[in-house]
Amino acid sequence: MPKILVCYKWVLDEQDIKINSGNLSLDSSRAKYKISDYDKNAIEEATLLMEAYEGNVDALTFGSDKVKQSLKDALSRGPGSVQWIGDAAFEQADAFVTANVLAAAIRKNGTYDLILCGEGSADSYSQQVAPRLATLLGIPVITFVQKLCMDGSRTIATRKLGDCTEVVEVEGPAVISVLPEINKPRIPSLKQVMAAAKKPSQEIKLAELELSAEDIIPKTVSISVKGYIMNRKNILFKEASQADNVAKLVASLAQEGLC
Amino acid sequence: MSGIWIYSEDSVIAKELLTAGLELKVSMSQSVGVITLAGEEQDAFIAAGADKVCILKGQNPWSESYADAVADFVSKERASVLLVGGTLRGKDLAAIAAATLRTGLVTDALTVQYVNNGIETTRLIYGGLAIQTEAISLPAFVTVPPRTYMEAPAMAGRQGEVFTVKVDNIASGISVSSVCPIIREGADISTASRVVGVGRGFGKREDLAMAEKLAQAIGAEIGCTRGIAEDSHWLPSERYIGISGQKVKAELYIAAGISGQVQHVAGVRDSKIIVAIDTNEKAPIFAAADYGIVGDLYEVLPLLAGAMGEK
Repeated sequence: MPKILVCYKWVLDEQDIKINSGNLSLDSSRAKYKISDYDKNAIEEATLLMEAYEGNVDALTFGSDKVKQSLKDALSRGPGSVQWIGDAAFEQADAFVTANVLAAAIRKNGTYDLILCGEGSADSYSQQVAPRLATLLGIPVITFVQKLCMDGSRTIATRKLGDCTEVVEVEGPAVISVLPEINKPRIPSLKQVMAAAKKPSQEIKLAELELSAEDIIPKTVSISVKGYIMNRKNILFKEASQADNVAKLVASLAQEGLC
Repeated sequence: MSGIWIYSEDSVIAKELLTAGLELKVSMSQSVGVITLAGEEQDAFIAAGADKVCILKGQNPWSESYADAVADFVSKERASVLLVGGTLRGKDLAAIAAATLRTGLVTDALTVQYVNNGIETTRLIYGGLAIQTEAISLPAFVTVPPRTYMEAPAMAGRQGEVFTVKVDNIASGISVSSVCPIIREGADISTASRVVGVGRGFGKREDLAMAEKLAQAIGAEIGCTRGIAEDSHWLPSERYIGISGQKVKAELYIAAGISGQVQHVAGVRDSKIIVAIDTNEKAPIFAAADYGIVGDLYEVLPLLAGAMGEK
């Protein structure tokens, strides 16, 4: 019966973020939060493993004070319990800090057979936390996994690395980062949403963790964030006759030297 | 702290990073070296501008198992910068080395500069919606995506120092078996000069034949959105274009039936000319396009294939 932990991040939904046309600053005032898409795959995979091997799944998240809003959504997706660290330090946290905080929370809890993460987060997508976490915990990491199974204390994973796949085996605890193609996250049913409300959640204060002051000082500091605007011609053909539109497009492409 | 070091398990990418490393060499007045697993490339690296080449020699062919050796080496050298080729294996290794040495790491940097006694990078966030400038204190680790820089050209008569470091990386705790190359049907869309991208505007799989006809007429490869590859499984995932998929740098990219989510647009933005065809005039793909046709792709694509085929 494997004991599994899944880590997730509560992020702004980038589809709701607008770019202010003047100074290219971001307007996230109307943006809602979501569980990072890649982490939904990690939660689903942890839940599938739990269902296959009768283990249990805990979830863990580090976020801002808003992260509490995520608990019910996370729990409705399968995990039996969730622990959360909501702290202002999150706002400036880089992967160095995030991994330090998650590792400290995991050490406090004891050990897990597997720790699952998404391959990256939907907001910063730095893809660092899984390997960093494994290194801090002194256990192996298997990144970019498209297929995962367990056999006793062994874990067998298929990684996908651009030009090849490889099958990797590890004995004992490991951190795994999963690719989106590994599964299709379930849409929680009403029953699962209701059940989530009864599952335990526990807050961990940053101060309770064994962290030095240096552990929560980011190594990378954001200087600016600007909308990434492309300068495109934006010429639109929208006549009723598609033959006319196509003729105009082809004429334009000919001018560009493309046909 | 002194020395700019480059690591990639892929020697072509290492030579690309030398271009970035040589720029830093000028601004930082520090030597630039290459850490490699490919000893046979030592002369090529020196010809391309490396002052030093460190060959790591272990018994394990799995490149990720060199993470500790790379960390060890840059720590002993007191390197100020480590540039890592941003393949998936490279990013894995860089994050392990960064965690071991408690250093900052920026992945997928588009630019790397020496500013105010530190390293400043830019990278995309929010799926390509925004660009973030970050400062990393030294020592700074940065991964750079393949093909961000041109390979540094070889110069005649360059001299450099070459040394070999023995690495014990047998016991990584991980055993690797059945490495299987992914066989791509057709060309690699990331290097194709023309690409037709397909999205949700196609009602069923057979309809993709219309896009294939257009692709044939103009000599293009077929790419797709994440939904087409990973939800519908109509095309293999190697065809999916986006921030976490393939990056298209085409002369001409034609998006058919693609609404243009930021993640998709981030994968095509380096294309020279972008054409969009979609029924919804408000679709974000038109803001990312040079030319657009507001219309039903079922009507437009055959007309366009016909017209382009005649040319």
